[in-house]
Amino acid sequence: MADPAIEVRKLTKTYRTPFARKKVEALRSVSFTVERGHIFGFVGPNGAGKTTTIRTLMGLIKPSSGAASLLGHPIPSRAARARVGFLPETPYFYDYLTVPELLDLAGRLFGIPHAERVKRADRLIERVGLGRARSQSLKKFSKGMLQRAGLAQALMNDPELVVLDEPMSGLDPIGRKEVRDLILELRDQGKTVFFSTHILSDVEAITDRVAIIARGEIQSQGTPTELVAQTILGVEIAIRIAAEVPIDELTANAAKVRRNGEDLSLVLPAGTDVDAWLQRAHAAGAKVISVAPRHETLEDTFLRQVANADSSPAALEGRT
Amino acid sequence: MIGRIWAIALNTFREAVRIRVLYGILVLVVGANLMTIVVGQMATNEEARVTQDIGLAGISLFGSLTAIFLGVFLLYTEVQRRTIHAIVSKPIERWEFVIGKYVGMALVLTVLVVLFAVAMLFMLALQDIPISSAIAKAVVMCWFEVMTVAAIAIFFSSFSTPFLSGIFALALWVIGRVTPDLEAATHSASSTIKWTSKVALQIIPDLHLFSVSGRTIDGVTVSVHGDFVSWGYVGLSALHGFGWIVGLLGLAALLFHRRDFV
Repeated sequence: MADPAIEVRKLTKTYRTPFARKKVEALRSVSFTVERGHIFGFVGPNGAGKTTTIRTLMGLIKPSSGAASLLGHPIPSRAARARVGFLPETPYFYDYLTVPELLDLAGRLFGIPHAERVKRADRLIERVGLGRARSQSLKKFSKGMLQRAGLAQALMNDPELVVLDEPMSGLDPIGRKEVRDLILELRDQGKTVFFSTHILSDVEAITDRVAIIARGEIQSQGTPTELVAQTILGVEIAIRIAAEVPIDELTANAAKVRRNGEDLSLVLPAGTDVDAWLQRAHAAGAKVISVAPRHETLEDTFLRQVANADSSPAALEGRT
Repeated sequence: MIGRIWAIALNTFREAVRIRVLYGILVLVVGANLMTIVVGQMATNEEARVTQDIGLAGISLFGSLTAIFLGVFLLYTEVQRRTIHAIVSKPIERWEFVIGKYVGMALVLTVLVVLFAVAMLFMLALQDIPISSAIAKAVVMCWFEVMTVAAIAIFFSSFSTPFLSGIFALALWVIGRVTPDLEAATHSASSTIKWTSKVALQIIPDLHLFSVSGRTIDGVTVSVHGDFVSWGYVGLSALHGFGWIVGLLGLAALLFHRRDFV
């Protein structure tokens, strides 16, 4: 059986403030595994430790303790990096280069022969939609264009594993969809994609597995379905009722009540006798438009776990 | 390995030639060489001496200052602007990156030294002054001095800010140029001065080796205008410089290897 694409075991990173005894734990015993061929979403709020984890994996930061491997090679490994594509967070590139020059530099560092470099660069420039900007220096690029250039340089070596730090950052909705499509296309090609984000809709839409990190600790991990509690949080109901009919009795225990003329929508809490409520609504002359159970979403899970992390003893101690 | 180092070197060269200050320095040096005509005419029968002295001093002074300037900025800005993130995450060792930056700088500095030397030779030719092999030897030694100073700057830049690196590199360059004075100080009555000088002589590159005009070597006072050192001496001083370059770049690579790029 092949090694996992990424294996992280009890990874810890502690920064010490110079001339002070204060220490900041950026990562606390972080462990997770990314299987080959998966799309893995690494989710967390700003400052959670996503970028620190990724930079540690890519050899930019040395861990204080713990271990990690990329494609079976313990980090930091040049052999592994040769088979990995990496997009840094808010990519900074040499702004005097054009995209073909940037990709040529990346290709040289990967040891790709000249003819192949040119061929791959041409294909990638078109793939990320920068064909019209190929003669412009990166200095003139918008944030979204830089992100596309970053994606292109990350794919120059036709990597087995692609690590993307906030790949949707700075992109408009069309750009975000294109990146999502690109990630799915990479998985279809048999590649593994590990990406960090705090845009939960992207995670729910495309990932096979997710890990939620907050305050330097993994809060939970699994498939998006596993992470979301399967219990019903409530029932969303939409009815149409004459504007002059009083609705106080109907909305007594409800949440998110909205009335717009004859249209009334609300959420009944879990455990409410919905049948009895609907009978009362019928009796009041209401016409039922829709009744739908409301499950927990990934966003609910994320917000709950981040809130738990923020109120943990370590967080309250100020993490010192 | 060579391909990766060369890729970084070429990119560094590309980056450095966009620095406008370099063109200012080039104009300054060419201007100083042009001035030798005026100054030479003021010093009757000393045109050759003036042209050669100003030309060589220009190479040494401005070459070294440019080396310090490039050395303290080019490595530091990679970290500060985070351009290094997309580079060292590729299959390149950090020491290869440091060497690549140095080679790129060395290319730029070599071009500058050649241009400075061409300006001086042009002025000599313009005044019908014969060009001796001493000039070639002196230029080669200036080039080695500049290369050594560049390594000093890169070394400090691997762990310090441009301001501090600049101060340290400048101090080492100045002290390295006055090693005969340090040697004299080792005979001082004060034990503090004596031991400080002894330690300094051990840890500071002897840049005075590259600037021999006026020194007495093997009982002969050498001058670029008369008897000058042999190619053997040039080779030995080059070896000395090369040793320091390797040592300083090795230390820089070691320090760079330990750094976190956050």
